[in-house]
Amino acid sequence: MSWFTRFTHTLRSRRLDDELREEFDDHLARRQEQFQSQGLPADEARRRARQAFGNTTALHERTRDTRVWLALAQTLDDIRYALRGLRRNAVFALTAIGSLTVAIAAITAVYAVTDAALFRPLPVPMPDRLVTLASTDVSIDDAARGGGQTFSYPMFEQLRAAAESSARLTLIDSPSRVEAQTAVPNAPYEEVIRQDVAPNFFQVVGVAPALGRLLTDSDDGARSSRPAVVLSYDYWARRFGQDQGVLGQGIILAGRTYFVVGVAREGFFGVEPGKFVDLWLPVTLGDPGILTNADYRPFHLIGRLAPRASALALAERLQPVYAQAQHDRAAAAGGVPEAIRSHIRDAKILVHGGANGVSAFRDTFSRPLWVLLAIASGLLLVACANVASLLLARATARAPEIALRVSLGAPRGRLMKHLLTESAVIAALASILGSALAYAAAPALVGLVSTRANPIRVHLALDWHLLGFTIGLCWLSTLFFGWLPAWQASGAAPMPALRRSKGQGGRLRLSRMFVGAQIAFAFCLVTAGSAFFFSLRNLATVPTGFDANGVTVLTISNGERQWNRQLAFVQRIQPTVAALPQIQGVSTAWTSLFSGAGRAQRVALPGQPLSVRQQTFYRVSPGHFATLHTPLLQGRDLLVSDNDDEPVATVVNVTFAAQLFGSDDVLGREFVRDDGVRHRVVGLSADSHYADLRGGPEGIAYMPMKPPRAFTMYVRSTLPPAVVAGIVDREGRALEPSARVSNVTTLETLVTETMLQERLLAGLGSVVAVLGLGLASVGLFGLLSYIVVRRTKEFGIRAALGAGRGSLHGLVLKELAGLVGGGLALGILSGLAAVHLARALLFDLAPQDPRIIGTALGVFALATLAAAGLPAVRAGAIDPVVALRDE
Amino acid sequence: MTPAQSPQIALDMLVLAVLTHLGPSHGYGITNAIQELSREALRVDEGSLYPALHRMAEAGWISATWTITDNKRRARVYRITRTGAKHLSDERARWTSFSGGVARILRHA
Repeated sequence: MSWFTRFTHTLRSRRLDDELREEFDDHLARRQEQFQSQGLPADEARRRARQAFGNTTALHERTRDTRVWLALAQTLDDIRYALRGLRRNAVFALTAIGSLTVAIAAITAVYAVTDAALFRPLPVPMPDRLVTLASTDVSIDDAARGGGQTFSYPMFEQLRAAAESSARLTLIDSPSRVEAQTAVPNAPYEEVIRQDVAPNFFQVVGVAPALGRLLTDSDDGARSSRPAVVLSYDYWARRFGQDQGVLGQGIILAGRTYFVVGVAREGFFGVEPGKFVDLWLPVTLGDPGILTNADYRPFHLIGRLAPRASALALAERLQPVYAQAQHDRAAAAGGVPEAIRSHIRDAKILVHGGANGVSAFRDTFSRPLWVLLAIASGLLLVACANVASLLLARATARAPEIALRVSLGAPRGRLMKHLLTESAVIAALASILGSALAYAAAPALVGLVSTRANPIRVHLALDWHLLGFTIGLCWLSTLFFGWLPAWQASGAAPMPALRRSKGQGGRLRLSRMFVGAQIAFAFCLVTAGSAFFFSLRNLATVPTGFDANGVTVLTISNGERQWNRQLAFVQRIQPTVAALPQIQGVSTAWTSLFSGAGRAQRVALPGQPLSVRQQTFYRVSPGHFATLHTPLLQGRDLLVSDNDDEPVATVVNVTFAAQLFGSDDVLGREFVRDDGVRHRVVGLSADSHYADLRGGPEGIAYMPMKPPRAFTMYVRSTLPPAVVAGIVDREGRALEPSARVSNVTTLETLVTETMLQERLLAGLGSVVAVLGLGLASVGLFGLLSYIVVRRTKEFGIRAALGAGRGSLHGLVLKELAGLVGGGLALGILSGLAAVHLARALLFDLAPQDPRIIGTALGVFALATLAAAGLPAVRAGAIDPVVALRDE
Repeated sequence: MTPAQSPQIALDMLVLAVLTHLGPSHGYGITNAIQELSREALRVDEGSLYPALHRMAEAGWISATWTITDNKRRARVYRITRTGAKHLSDERARWTSFSGGVARILRHA
């Protein structure tokens, strides 16, 4: 076990040193006694003894080296030296560690979110055996929204039967935010995330219960007497405090009571990263029409492959069944153009890997997240270059000491190790602090992308992935910023340094290179920030077609089941609220703008084939256009007397008219929906956006209101939303005791939330750009100051010979230009390339738009001139007498 | 395996032999013993002895303890271990064959 004793000796070297010293002292004393016994006086004896012994210190060290683990002892010494050096140079330490910490925190936070959302496999057994199904049957409109991944229930049953032994398939609906109530008297309403799934969902995915049981095939509604619901572990802990007695508890959703049969195991949140499901219900308990309607296709299909099956084999097995169903569908689609029909017929089924789950969040955010990761890496590069130039300055200060070591025979490798240890200590400290900062920042980042309509929760775990990432980053950055200065310092010839001469051209060249690198990276970041800023501005100034200021949007629901009584409720509450003071307008609609919900159908002129694109149909009450301030250009608004009797009275907007009729002259003309219903145009409204600001205004056909159980109300008022909600709640309850108001927000908020991605990129992009620019400016400032100090004598001579302040300033600016020039050129090129790469994320902005580079150059010029300001002023203020006296 | 040529290996062997002959002793005692037993032919200076002593202690051939010797002084006393005794007999055999070979060649020279 000698390596173990060596290890302990290395750590407790003081004890070893004491023992050795005692042993040598004993030896010397005995030798001294021997000489004394031969007749020498005491001090002579001692001198002779020492002489005979030899070099005590060298012997001590040599002996010690046999007892310790040499490499470890050296490393410990290096670390102690580095820490001492950092303590003595507090400013250097704070700057270096500070800039690295910020950069590492940024990149770690983004990586944590990216990992949780994109990389991490689901916490189920053998996630690589999971698959998701998709198809190539995607309409033009669906493709834009990332469709092609949903199926109908009858299709699911056919595919499940066809898969047979090669895979088990199951079905999930998208999680949605709903209101729930526990079945006790006076229970409050709470918001939960609910997901409808096929009864075999938990078996296929591979989740075990933590309490009770999970859904099984017997919960399909036909055989079970009590509708079952399964809670998530998180919800059970949060809401019921892990009470074992929750089994059998009733929960009311949408007016129907479900009974808790069990709790899923801890750590399972569903199969969609970013959404934490609270309740799972069997989809078969819903509206029976869903189970037989082949045109209603909202479900995702996932499955688990059998042990020896492959995804390809599964796709081949499913294709015949799918092709047959598609063929039938194409044949049944009457007025649809042939191009679309053949597209439907030729659709193929695809089987993708499902280890990461199904995620709409991933589809929306994967590209922005990668961009953020790239930006954070850029910041890290700037920080590394900054620290490298700081280290270079330190190496200069230590040059005589290092030269001494070289002359004493230290090998270059040993010196490199010694110098790199300092870099490693800085990187390690920055990594620890940066990780801690990231731990706080990552949830904030997730909070930025989470909206009311689409709450995102991500399970950010401090797991080995993240730890490995941070450690790897630490080592990479150490090598990156520490290597070059260490190489240069350890290779310097000792004599000039020992002589303390100023021959340090090498150091200056290297410094220029580092500052140039910082300038390039920083400019790249500023360009990216500028591009995202303009992209956001473009999106924010898109004319929405309505006035979003001062409009409260809320949802009203009540216990009424019959739709005509519901309609009566709507028709009474609207004028009641509108009559109140300070309410400028009220209208209702079946759902809210920008909610993600919409109804799109194909239309045709009578006797003509159906259009290729789908149009949006929006059920609204009279007064919609007046409330939202969308101008009505021709004809009339909808009336209370309008209903679904054919031909249905409809108001269309300009885009719809142009797409279907090809002109503005549409009053009185009729058109047909793809399900055969006839419409007659009674009014023409101006364009407005319905679901997304990014494309052009959608073509919208406004139909008379037919309210669902929970419908939307728009209220234009100067009052704050909470007050408006209170008023509507009061009036609603007066008309119908079970009426309730929920989901209170403003139209402005809804519009802003659609710009989430752009806001995220612009916000974070500018923060990072400012940080990067700040770091680069500090580096520039440091180097310029050093150059001015170095040229003090020269400036003094010039001043003595009559040069004015202005010309001295000009000299400094010339230095600045020299420093910045190369880096700027590289920065412009890389900035343009980066913006070009990210062009898919820019709204209505060409990558080569001169405003981007122009703004970046402007901001950059300000920062660099500010950095050069103080050195220039100092140069101008050099007193020639003082400068020349310093010989 | 090269025979015991280098002074370091010979030193190891000498120290182990002295410890076997003399019993446990401290560094100073070993130095004197080598000098006396070889009749002044071999002299080991401290610069070689102490690193060797500590190295051998690490290798496990000798063990060291702090004991109170005569005149009430604390000294680090070394004693040979079983492993060391085995190593000594191996080295002795090797040295004998080596020096025997050298002697034979010199006889013919």
